[in-house]
Parts: sequence; structure tokens; C-alpha cells
Amino acid sequence: MFSRCRPAASVLALCVLLLAACEREERAYRGEPVGEVKPGAIVQGTLYAGEPSPPPPQRREYEGNAYHISEGKRLFEWFNCSGCHAHGGGDIGPPLMDDTWIYGGELENIAATIVEGRPNGMPSFRSKIPDQQVWQLAAYVRSMQRAVRKDVAPGRDDHMSASPGEQSQPVQEAKPGGGTPPSSQGTGQ
Amino acid sequence: MSKLQCCLLALLAVAYNILACAFPALAQDPAPPAKAIPAPAASPPDDGNWSMPAKNYASTRFSELDEINAGNVRDLQVSFTFSTGVVRGHEAAPLVVNGTMYVVTPYPNHLHALDLTKPGAPTKWTFEPKPAASAQGVACCDYVNRGPAFADGKIFITTLDAHTIAIDAETGQEVWRTKLGDINKGESMTMAPLVVKGKVLVGNSGGEFGVRGWVTALDAATGKIVWRAYSTGPDKDVLIGPDYQPFYDKEKGKDLGVSTWPPNAWEIGGGTMWGWISYDPELDLIYHGTGNPGPWNPEQRPGDNKWTGGIFARNPDTGQARWFYQVVPHDLYDYDGINELILVDLPWNGETRKALIRPERNGYLYVIDRRTGEVLAADPYFPVNSTSGVDLKTGQIQYNEDKHPRMGKVVRDICPTAPGAKDWNPSAFSPRTGIVYIPHNNLCMDWESVEANYIAGTPYVGANVKMYAGPGGHRGAFTAWDPVQRKKAWEIKEDLPLWSGALATAGDLVFYGTLDGWFKAVHAQTGELLWRFKTGSGIIGQPISYRGPDGRQYIAVLSGVGGWAGAIVAGDLDPHDASAAKGFVNAVSDLPRRTTKGGMLYVFALPSRS
Amino acid sequence: MRGFGDSRRPQGAWPPHPGPLPGGEREGPLTLTLSPGGRGTWVAALPLPLLTACSGPQSMLDPAGTQAGHIGTMWWILFATCAAVYGIVMLWLLWALARRHRWVEPRGVLPVEEGRDRGLTFWLSVWVGGTVVILCGLVTASYAVDKSLTHLANREELAVEVEGMQWWWRIRYPDDDPSRSIATANEIHLPAGAPVRLKLKAQDVIHSLWIPNLHGKMDLIPGRENELFLVAEREGTYRGQCAEFCGLQHAHMALTVVVESPEDFNAWKEAQLAPAPEPASDEQKRGKAVFLSSACSMCHGIRGTTASASVAPDLTHLASRPTIAAGTLPYNRGNLAAWIADPQRIKPGNHMPLVGVPPPDLQALVAYLDSLK
Repeated sequence: MFSRCRPAASVLALCVLLLAACEREERAYRGEPVGEVKPGAIVQGTLYAGEPSPPPPQRREYEGNAYHISEGKRLFEWFNCSGCHAHGGGDIGPPLMDDTWIYGGELENIAATIVEGRPNGMPSFRSKIPDQQVWQLAAYVRSMQRAVRKDVAPGRDDHMSASPGEQSQPVQEAKPGGGTPPSSQGTGQ
Repeated sequence: MSKLQCCLLALLAVAYNILACAFPALAQDPAPPAKAIPAPAASPPDDGNWSMPAKNYASTRFSELDEINAGNVRDLQVSFTFSTGVVRGHEAAPLVVNGTMYVVTPYPNHLHALDLTKPGAPTKWTFEPKPAASAQGVACCDYVNRGPAFADGKIFITTLDAHTIAIDAETGQEVWRTKLGDINKGESMTMAPLVVKGKVLVGNSGGEFGVRGWVTALDAATGKIVWRAYSTGPDKDVLIGPDYQPFYDKEKGKDLGVSTWPPNAWEIGGGTMWGWISYDPELDLIYHGTGNPGPWNPEQRPGDNKWTGGIFARNPDTGQARWFYQVVPHDLYDYDGINELILVDLPWNGETRKALIRPERNGYLYVIDRRTGEVLAADPYFPVNSTSGVDLKTGQIQYNEDKHPRMGKVVRDICPTAPGAKDWNPSAFSPRTGIVYIPHNNLCMDWESVEANYIAGTPYVGANVKMYAGPGGHRGAFTAWDPVQRKKAWEIKEDLPLWSGALATAGDLVFYGTLDGWFKAVHAQTGELLWRFKTGSGIIGQPISYRGPDGRQYIAVLSGVGGWAGAIVAGDLDPHDASAAKGFVNAVSDLPRRTTKGGMLYVFALPSRS
Repeated sequence: MRGFGDSRRPQGAWPPHPGPLPGGEREGPLTLTLSPGGRGTWVAALPLPLLTACSGPQSMLDPAGTQAGHIGTMWWILFATCAAVYGIVMLWLLWALARRHRWVEPRGVLPVEEGRDRGLTFWLSVWVGGTVVILCGLVTASYAVDKSLTHLANREELAVEVEGMQWWWRIRYPDDDPSRSIATANEIHLPAGAPVRLKLKAQDVIHSLWIPNLHGKMDLIPGRENELFLVAEREGTYRGQCAEFCGLQHAHMALTVVVESPEDFNAWKEAQLAPAPEPASDEQKRGKAVFLSSACSMCHGIRGTTASASVAPDLTHLASRPTIAAGTLPYNRGNLAAWIADPQRIKPGNHMPLVGVPPPDLQALVAYLDSLK
């Protein structure tokens, strides 16, 4: 009796295994209810006052989701992020594919940078980019330095292959505060 | 230039005119000179100062000092140095006026005055304009500044956040400050002003941000705007009126700045003026170029896109246009038309023509009649394949259909690249040899047009670009061009792209610097390398020569890599992304191993005899 | 002729919202008349709903243009041939069924009948030969129709660029005088009788344009330009649809085609050339400020304002269009407000995000957008 069921059970188990991959594709189109969460926590480095706060839930929701990251990649072009940061190598703004993060390289730091802007040329997109898209952009930026899982990082670009694609980048850990803010280069500033 | 000299010059010019009218035979040279000479009224005798980045209104960048010459240049040594405290791209020319040297840095645009009369040239004063830090986000290609200008006891500078400031040259106190643009729209300023007849001429940068380009004249005494001429829009904004007499039919018509654009696209159409202006006192015309149309993606702006990518001749008092020639109608490759314009009189088919010489981004060296705007010659000084030539009858450039950018397609091997066969870095002209010395790139590129989305204050480009070494495998070249013979006299192949200006001296020397920090002196006749010195950082500045208070000749240059070419070092860009710095990173991915950031003034002289 | 104003509004001509399409005013060639109460009425009426597709704004059997006419003819040839063959086969089948009763042998091998077998061979040969002839005929007809379609494509009075996006249509009318070129979205206006060249492009994925009343399908492929020549003869409002699966909202990627008299077309073009009108009321002024300061201006452009973004439909004359969201909803203030309030509910997965405009701002924003006639 038991032995007759075994092939069926194996097939069932395999099917369940296949379902495990669905999470990376789960598509949430509407994001957070309006005005609930603003990426406000500005954590700039390893040294900050008080107890360290736990990572926000968005990390798991956005960094582990291929749909959000691919939407972030589309928005990175649409909102001209690529105009200043190129395809991760940098231009007017600093590169995003290396491990140097002037204002912190965690998801919530990047989201805060997009929303608040930074004093040396990064404009603030507050009220210009809805929250969900901010998180999507931040998750994509994280994928540029391969700080996300390989199976959710975008593959090779459809456009001119300027870089090998986020999936093929070596995994890097963000080093917060590793860079020199350009303003400190001027004397007397 | 002192007031006295100005008056003398004007008198001379008037006298010459009267004589010419009275005795026509005098005005016609019986035998035109065998080689080109600088426009006489625009190139007064050298007084040993260097009061504007181009040396004189004719923009020759030629020093008549000959103490340092081909025979003794091998002994040239450092006289003193000065650290600017900023480690971004130093594109500026230092100025020297009556024993004081003025150095302007990249953002934050500090102006240093160095006292040359004392040993080691100590700082007299430093002026800090404190431009808005956010302006760094709207400077397309590093936060450079191309130099100050001196006139009437004042130094004039532009700041990155689109202000023009007058500073008392003696005390370092601010005299006036005028805000001319809005950084939230992407407007910035990087150019060196030019002072003509008591007016400070400046223009805006931001052709990669969808700004509307303009050139403005400010009253040198008060800073009030006298006139402003836009590069796009209706004729009244462009200052095209009854005086406007272009040579070619294609430049004629009403409100072409509107009708050659899709509806309303001219409002964000670029045509910025961030390069060089020349002035001919005799014809009383200023000459300036207009930058690339925006966005780079040409499919988003069908039409000729007037008045971008061309050359204007204007009346300096009113700004009214006299003529215009569009070098690149409907620009396809970011061929900004802002390069230097060298005013020369040269023999042409048996007569003397008043001309201007323009080594253009698109790879052609244009010789244009500066009275009428007629193109006399347009010869390639670089292996061009994006265009097949210039029709001298119509003035029309012939685009090569194979290299036409298309949306969603990668067009490969386009030469020259977006920064052009030659970018902003100015050439020099020596009247002793009649040769133009052109420091330039030897690069080609792959281009893919993509949709550009206009969001005010963010880039508006719409192209993925990847550059690499051009034919021959070298990335730069220093070309000596004879405009009369219409051919190369000699050429030096440089491994790295050349992003520094050139300087010619009466000692038959030509100076230029390289991206990896070598400062070189070569023979003006042969191009033979006579002397070189390794500075601390890559050189993208403009060398100058002056007579010090001690009567000796000095050569000065700023070292500090950056600009579009050196952005990979100045901005710590990542070479893994070939499209970084609009594709320039791919061409110079080895640069971080060959030089580091810096910001240092080097001044050279022969060993003192005492 | 229907007036300009009438033809734009979906007043019963066709509801843009997906649903059963009504028959339309004009009777299609296949409309049947059945006497009510007669025997077999109910049986005959069963396929009737299928026939509603034979005419109306999205039917290739109701050609409104020269090319569609050729394709329609071809369709009828194919239909008639197949129907005839089907009928013959059915008749023979019935005949065979009826005939079986007469000569069933109880058991054993079928007897060989010389004459009968020869007859069978003969008729089989005729049948095969007939099939070959019919197929050849159809190939020839199809070739002839294709050829006539390409022969029609030698004249062009108007060029229209159609760009497929996920999931809407960008429409541009280039002009020799670039300042007279216009851009709109999800609607094509065509002058009746003029040969038109549609230049078909795409940036993201492959789409396909199908306006059944005017022409067949043609793909829009990233990186290349396809073209479709057509002449729209009959004035009216038609519906086009993306016919190549292009992602989640492929089904909601439709466009309106308005064929109108040359005078009406020119009037429409002149109206489209004008920049957006200045807001008249205080509410509209506030709506404009909301538009410019919120996420709207990151993607949409309104000519005459500082909003010049272009990755989403140009809204300069939004209120003059018959539909919003690429044919998903008819245009009216209520639908517009619902769309802005939650686009992901109406068209899940589309690229317009949940912006979260507070209700008072939303009212003002809709008032402003509704003024963009």
C-alpha cells in the first residue's frame, strides 16, 4: 500500500519544492498603504547613538523579490538615476556597484538618500517618487553590488552591454562611510 | 591690458581705417603674406602679462617671450608650486597681472591671489564665493572652472551655481555678484568670462540637463545684465534683428529657433555656451559657439534644432547677431560647437581673408570668413567616419547614413566620439610658424539611443555610449596644422586622450600636458620633444607664459586630473561599467593606475643666472 | 457623416470597456432574419451571438478601408470555399450513413466488385485532384491579395508613428515642419480616403497592432521599424488592439481609431498643436500645482508647462480623448479620478503607481486634467 503511494508522494513533494521558487516572483502591485512608512531612518555608519534598531521589514520584502528589483531597474532609467550614476559605474554621482557607501549602503540608507537627497548634488525625490518605487529603486541599487541573492538579481542587460549584469557581479558587502564626501575636499567648507 | 594701451589701439585702428578709405591701395596688400597672422587689432604686442585665458581677443595663446627657447628649454626647472586644496579637475588657466597671479579652483571655486614679487609667491588673499553645494549634482563632467578674467582692476569668475562675481584684484573684496541661472533647472557655469568694451560676457552650462542655452553680457562696473541672447526660441530672444546677414540660405528665415523643433522642445533644447569667445575690435564683432541640442537622442528632436551646434557673430554692445553658421544641424552625436575661435588674417586664393579658425568637435578644422560667415575650408584633422564632408557651396555637413543613431540599436565604430575629435581644451596659434597646435582625442565610440525622460534638474541625455581608442590604437594626438596649406605639418601620437590646452611661445616652443601628468615642451617647427616634467597629477589645465616682476620668463600650468576625460580618477568611478562618465571610462580604464587626484600649480623657469 | 464631437465620444458606437459588443447601426453581411415563433428558431438562434462580431468597430468583416476590403474579400473566398467543401463532405457523410442500411453483409470478407472499386478509385482521384486545385486556387488568391496590398503601398499622404509600450500606444504625427508634429496616446485620427503609412516601433517587448476594420496585424519589434500602409474609406470610430502577448495587461492595450473627413482631421490636428490651456479656475490652478509638484510630472508631460517627461502618455489634450488607460475606461471625470486614486485596482501590474494623492488634491487634479481639452 505504502509502496504504491511512493511515486505519487515524490511527485507531490517535487511540486511543493517548485512552489518554493514562487516567492522570488511574488508581485505586489500596490505597495504599502499611502503615507504609512516613510524611509526616515538615516543610519550613516556603524557608529550611532543608542541601541541598534532592527532592520526594517522592507529588507526581506524588497531585497528578496525579483519583481521589485526588476521594476527598480526600469525606474532607474526612467527617473534618470542612470544619468548621474551610469549603469552603476558612476558619472556625475558616485558609482553604485562598488563597496563604498558615503551615506550607508543598507536598503534603508539608500531609500533615505533617494527621499531626502544629499548635500553634494543628490536631489531629494520626496513626494516625487511614491514609497513603493523608492524601495524598488533601493533594492535594485543593492543588486548592483550584488548585495542580494543571485536568483533575484537581474541578468544581462537588453541594451548595450556596458557591464556584465547585476547577476554576474561579485558579491560585496557595503562599507558604510567608506568614501569622502566631495565637500570635504574644498578648503574652508 | 591697460587703459592706455586700449586707447592707443583704438586710435591705431581708426587711423588705419581712415588711411584705408583715403588710399584704397594701402588696404590691399600687394602680395599677401605667405602664412597666417593673428588679427592685428585683436592681438596687441605682448606686455608680459596674461590677463585672459586665451591671452588676447584673437585667442592665439601665443606668448612673445623668447627667453625660454628650443636651445635652453632642457634646463627648465620648477620655480615654485602652490596647492589649491581641491582635488578635482583643474581646467583653468592661471592669470598674471602686474606681479600677481590669480588661480581659480574647481568647485568650490576659490580664487587665490599669489604675490609674484616675493620669493615663493605667498598668498595675498583668497576669495571664497561659497557656491551652493548642490550645484555639484548638475555639473555634467566634473565640477571644473576654465579660468578667471581680468579687466579694469577687477577679476571676474563664474561659479558652479551659475553666478558671476567681480572681485577687486587688489584687495580680494567682492565688488558685485549676479545670479544668472537656476541650478534646480540644471543650469551651472564653468566657463571663463571674456571682458569686451566694459561688458563681461558669460554663458551657461547644462546641455546634458535640458536647459535653454544663452550668452549674457553684464556691465563690468555694476554686474547688471545688459543683454541676453538665447540659443533657441523666437528671434527676439536670440537677438536676431535687421543686422542679421548670414552667408548661407539655410540660416535664413523667421523664428527658426522655434520652427526647427517639435512644439515646445526648444524650451529644453540646450545650445548652452560654456566655451570660448573671441572678439575682433576692428569689425567690432564677438564670436561664440553654441552647444549641443538636448537631449542627445536625436529622434526626440526632429528638425535642424536652430541655433544649437553653430557659431554666432554678434555686436558686443547690443548682442544683435550679425551672422550664424550651423556647423552640425540636427546634431547626432553631441558635437557641441563651443570650441575656441582663433582670429587670423590669412592668404587665400591670392587675397587676404579675415578668417577665424575653429578645430571643431566633429573632426573638421573650419576656416570661416569672420566678416560674412562663409566657410572657406573644412578639412578633417582626424579620421572622421560619422560624416563624409562639408559642402562648401551650401555649408551643409554630409552625415553618414551607416552611422546614424537609432533607438534600440547599437551603432558601432563611430568616429569621432561625443567629446569629439577635440573638446573644449584650446589650441594655440603661433604667428612665427603660422601653424595651429591642436591637442585632441583619437577615440571612437559605440552609441545606442534610448528614450530620454525630462525631469527638471536631472540629466536629459538619452544615449548609452562606450568609447575606445581610434584608428592607430593611440587615444590622443597633438597635431600641428597649417591652415594655409590645409594639411598637417606634424603630429605626435599620445597614448592617452589629450585634455589640456596648448601654449605657443616665441622661443619656438609648444607646451601641453597629458592625462598622466607629463608636462611637455616640443619644437614648434618639428614636434621634436625637447623637455618634459612629471607633475603630481594628470594635466587638463591651460599652460600660460608670463614675464615675472624680476623680468624673467615663466611657464605656469595647473595639474589636477578630472574633467570628462579624468572623471574616472576625480570621481572614483568604477571601470566595470563601460558606460560610466557617458562612456569615457571605457576609454581610460587604465588611468587610475597611472595618476591620482591632485590640485597643484606648477611654475617653471630657467635657472637664474645670478 | 457624423460630427467631429460625436465620433470621439463612445456614445453607443462601441463601449471601450471589455464586454459584449453590440451589433452596431450597420447590418453586417451575415445578419440573418428569422421569423419569431417558427420551427427551429431556437436552434438557429444559438450561433447568433457569434454573428454580432461580424460588424461593428472591431471586425474585419466590416471593412472600412481599402486594405481591409481586400483582406475581407480573401476571408470570404476562404470562408465560401471551406463552407462548400465542408457542406459536400457532410452531404457525402449523410449519404453514406443513409446508404449503410441497404447493403450490410452479415459476416465474412467484403466481396470484390470490379466496377465499384474502379468507381471508388476514380472518385478518390477526383477528390484529391479537386483538393489540390482548391488549395492552389486559395494560394493564388492569397498571393493576389498580398500583391494588391503591396501595390497599394506606393503612395503616402500622411505618416503616423505608432509605438507600442507596456501597455499603451504612443502616437506621433511627424511633419516636414517639425514644429507642426504632434504627439498623443491611444488614439489615431485619420482623414478618410488618404493613403497613410503607419510606422510601427517598440522599445520594451514585441507588440502587434491590429485594427481589424482597416488592416491585418503587424508586429512592433524593438530595434526595428515596420510599416503598414492603409487607406481608411469610411468615416467612423474603430478599435485597435495589441495582438501579440506583451505582458500582464496585454488585454487592456487598445486604441481608438477615428476616421473623419479631411476638414475634421485638420481641425483636430490644429487643436492638438496648441499647448495646454492655462488653468481658468482656482481649483484648476491648484490642480496644476499638484500635478507639477507630485509624482505625476516624473512620467507625464503637459506641453506648455514645465512637465516634459515622456515615459508615460502625453497629457496635453487628455480630456479630448475618448478613453483612458489605453481603452480600459471611457474618459470621464469619475473614471479619471478612480484611475488616479488606484490604477493598480483597475489595471493590476501596469506602470502607473499608487501615488496617493490626498482626496482634496485629487479633486483639484482631476479638475485641471479635465480642462485639458
